[in-house]
Amino acid sequence: MQLAGWALAELAVVFAAGAGVITLLYLLRMRRRQVVVPFAELWEQVTRESESRKLWRKLRRLFSWLIQLILLALVCLALGDPRPEVWLREPATTAIVIDTSASMAAVADEDGQTRLALALQRARAEVEALGPADRALIIAAGSEVSVPAPLTGEGGTLLAALDSAPPDPDSPINPKTRPRVRVGPGEADLGRALLLARNALGDQPTPRILVLTDGALDEAGVDAVDRCIERAKLEGEASCEVLDIGAPKSEDGEADTAFGRNVAITAFAARRYPSNPDQVEVLVEIQNLGAEPARFELRVTADGLPVGGKALELAPGDRALEVLPKLDAARERLVAELRPLEGADGNVDEASAGALGPSIDDRAYAVIPPLDPMEVTLVTDGGNLFLEAALLTLDDSVRLTTVGVDEGAASAVGDANLVFYDIAANPLPDPLPTTNLVIFDPHRVEGSPAPIPLLRELRSPRLSEQNEKHEILEGVVFKDVNMFQGTSFDLAPGDINLVSHLGEPIVALREGDHGVLQIGFDPRGSDLPLRTAFPLMIANAVDYFGRREAGFVAAIPIGASRELALADFGVPGEDVTLLEVLPPTPDNPIPARTSEDAEAGVERPTPLRVRAQDGRFRIRALVPGVYTITVKDGAAAGAVFEVAVNQANAAASNLESRLVDDHAVPEAHAAGPAPEPAPLSEGPLWTLIMLAAIALLTAEWASYHRRKTV
Amino acid sequence: MGLRERMGLGGGRQNKAAVELPDIFDDEFLRQLELLQVIARRLIRGRQRAERKTRKTGSGLEFADHRSYSPGDDIRNVDWNVLARLNQTLVRLFEEDEDLPLRLVVDVSDSMLTKGAHKLIYAQKIIAALAYVGLAGLDRVGLTAMSGKAHETLPAIRGKSRIFRVFDFLRKAPLGGPTDIYGGCKRVAAQASLPGVTVVVSDFYDLQGAFDGLNLLRFQKHEVVAIQVIDPVEANPLDTGVRGDVTLVDVEGDASRDVTLSPAMLQAYAEAHERFCTTLANKCRSRGMPYFRANIDEPFDELVLRIFRLGGVLR
Repeated sequence: MQLAGWALAELAVVFAAGAGVITLLYLLRMRRRQVVVPFAELWEQVTRESESRKLWRKLRRLFSWLIQLILLALVCLALGDPRPEVWLREPATTAIVIDTSASMAAVADEDGQTRLALALQRARAEVEALGPADRALIIAAGSEVSVPAPLTGEGGTLLAALDSAPPDPDSPINPKTRPRVRVGPGEADLGRALLLARNALGDQPTPRILVLTDGALDEAGVDAVDRCIERAKLEGEASCEVLDIGAPKSEDGEADTAFGRNVAITAFAARRYPSNPDQVEVLVEIQNLGAEPARFELRVTADGLPVGGKALELAPGDRALEVLPKLDAARERLVAELRPLEGADGNVDEASAGALGPSIDDRAYAVIPPLDPMEVTLVTDGGNLFLEAALLTLDDSVRLTTVGVDEGAASAVGDANLVFYDIAANPLPDPLPTTNLVIFDPHRVEGSPAPIPLLRELRSPRLSEQNEKHEILEGVVFKDVNMFQGTSFDLAPGDINLVSHLGEPIVALREGDHGVLQIGFDPRGSDLPLRTAFPLMIANAVDYFGRREAGFVAAIPIGASRELALADFGVPGEDVTLLEVLPPTPDNPIPARTSEDAEAGVERPTPLRVRAQDGRFRIRALVPGVYTITVKDGAAAGAVFEVAVNQANAAASNLESRLVDDHAVPEAHAAGPAPEPAPLSEGPLWTLIMLAAIALLTAEWASYHRRKTV
Repeated sequence: MGLRERMGLGGGRQNKAAVELPDIFDDEFLRQLELLQVIARRLIRGRQRAERKTRKTGSGLEFADHRSYSPGDDIRNVDWNVLARLNQTLVRLFEEDEDLPLRLVVDVSDSMLTKGAHKLIYAQKIIAALAYVGLAGLDRVGLTAMSGKAHETLPAIRGKSRIFRVFDFLRKAPLGGPTDIYGGCKRVAAQASLPGVTVVVSDFYDLQGAFDGLNLLRFQKHEVVAIQVIDPVEANPLDTGVRGDVTLVDVEGDASRDVTLSPAMLQAYAEAHERFCTTLANKCRSRGMPYFRANIDEPFDELVLRIFRLGGVLR
């Protein structure tokens, strides 16, 4: 506080002189007026009872004198025109950049406050410390950069933007009722946020950028902070201060690992079994990003009903790729959720709950893709009807195309997922098609392009051993199978010997980008087709390759602009130009289908219209959940498909600050403690002091006329 | 005269010795009294005469009774007709006409002199009016000016032309001194050879002696009439604006008292004053003593006519 008006010495003189005059006047005032009364006896009767208040009468003279001195002091203070120091300095412009990435939802202190709460607290302190000529803007840096409060000097506007009150429960989908600065999924796009801040501060006086982040940034974010600090060293550039709100440090400077714990689902996908569409296989990748072991339960639900799950324990830093096979789920939308274990008393185990960290990455969504029939091509000379019959029995899941030997070239089989070569004595096409292959008797003709080379020819081989555990041979028994001749294969490391003749592989599998199953005999020359093992093996092989081929459709990661192909969702979309995207809301990540909502009277957000070109389109995927996309034109008009969007980003879930070592914030650019709030945001202080003096004078006047004071 | 002056705030404590009364007994005042006398005469005509009947028999014109002749009786009063008819010597008795002894007592204490002595002036006007009406009715009118310090008496006079002696007495009567109603009344009672109508005009600011003095006169067969002169500002000082710490100084003595005047206290004084006046009035009336409250803001002639209308002073 400094005096902008009269100097302190001058004020002291004025006050001393005024106090002297007041004291003198009061001394004179203490001489009572004399009032002559004709009936003193009656007056004495009436005034006798006031004798008991004589002491107070004396004290209130002193009280009145003190009031007058206070009044004089206030007037002197007003003459001094006191102003807080923040008013006297040059006006400053501050861009407050708040990291709203997922990691900001982590608990930051023992009171349970999140990192974002601490950041907002600091931002409020900065706003409250603004002087009358200072201005500030607030930038929220999440997956998408937003400006909750533009450049303004109005503290109310800025504080309103920092209001962290929860949304109105009555209108959960109304974005106006939500806090303007809230944690979102994904990483903070600090690069764009800081660029925006620098541009906004371009011509402003005393520009300053304050970055409120937990330091749990991706490489781009760390680079952006580094660039901000480096540019701040240049003359004329905005200063850059960084406040690392990360996990609180203990007294020895080490991070408290208890606040950095987090387990995240980093991948989640599901698919149906081609051979059994009522069952799904789920793939979940989970990572323990904390520094302590984590025990928890993985649960998969469909429409709120659990369909599978298991308890897991992960060491610090471990990543688990869990495949939950054969889950019964006719529904198409699945939710994977990490849940704390229950303690012995039936309550939630606190340690388990604490290990999971922020909940934003403990849920993931998946849409089971539609199961298209598998494209199977049979290249045959037409002499093995047993094989064709075995494939035709798989009609539900297989679209069979039978071609002749001359049409079996790589270019002719097209996009088939699996090609059977049963061509007897005919040579295999060279090169073979780059897809999954099942080749019967591949080395009958010399110089065969079959991937697994010939070991030697066999006479009347016996199928003496078989790998019963392999999926292709599940339920298949090769016992007493007779055949005239066969070939054994020279396996390379990695090749799988499924069936062998006295130790020599006669049926082998090579896995790679495309699998190859080589069967070293011609079925025509054996009695195998007459056995149940033959169609069973064919079905197992189709299912095996089908699962390899029809892979999991991974969820889309969070992002402001994600490019997708219509073909990935089974929609022929070359002529599609317009799509309608219905996004989920944070409170309703898996919206019911439109028709169901209409029946239930549920209000839905307004669909977004997006353009498509050449079968590709972009969507804003900022909210995890299931997005419903409707094709509005083209041949596939009316087609509806769904896309799951997940955070699925280990870097975003990692709560550890990366502003360390080489990227540590220099001390000169580290934000200090929160500033003290400005005493008054605007207006000269002396007017308020004079108002106080007038108020005091009025009170004294009123009390004087009520004989409270003298 | 402003309220503050009437409350005694004009120039601090008043100088008791320096009270100079204005000469109110001029021609204009005399004309006022003439008019008042005419009106008053009209009011009391028929039943109220100066020639008042007494129970005494004497030389009046109206026959009252007979009695036996006794030696020494005036033979002119012998009823010769009765003697001739009945041979009894009887003497005729006549009711004797007697004038009314009217004693007017005015309080000239310091309490009547406050703030320009307007209470005393008002009282003097009342006294002069009553005296004039009394003199005009051939009553014998005597005046007394009393206080704790002074006691001056004008012996009974008769005849309208003597009104100027009344004026002179009132002009020259000594002023000041403490209020002493009881002492004054005691001396009035002692001086009066015949009890008559005694009108006491005062503010009666004497807690103990006010009623006792009047009651003493009553015991002495006086027909007492009390006229209390009140200054409404003194009676209710709430409107004077006087507030705060003041020293109340008794106008009749050296006693003083430091008080803080608050509206509540002023209100309490007004209520106490009203209680005092009401108590005095009730006591007077309960003992057959007419009581009149004379507000100095009320024209004195109206007050006098009110007194005549209600009766009690002149019959």
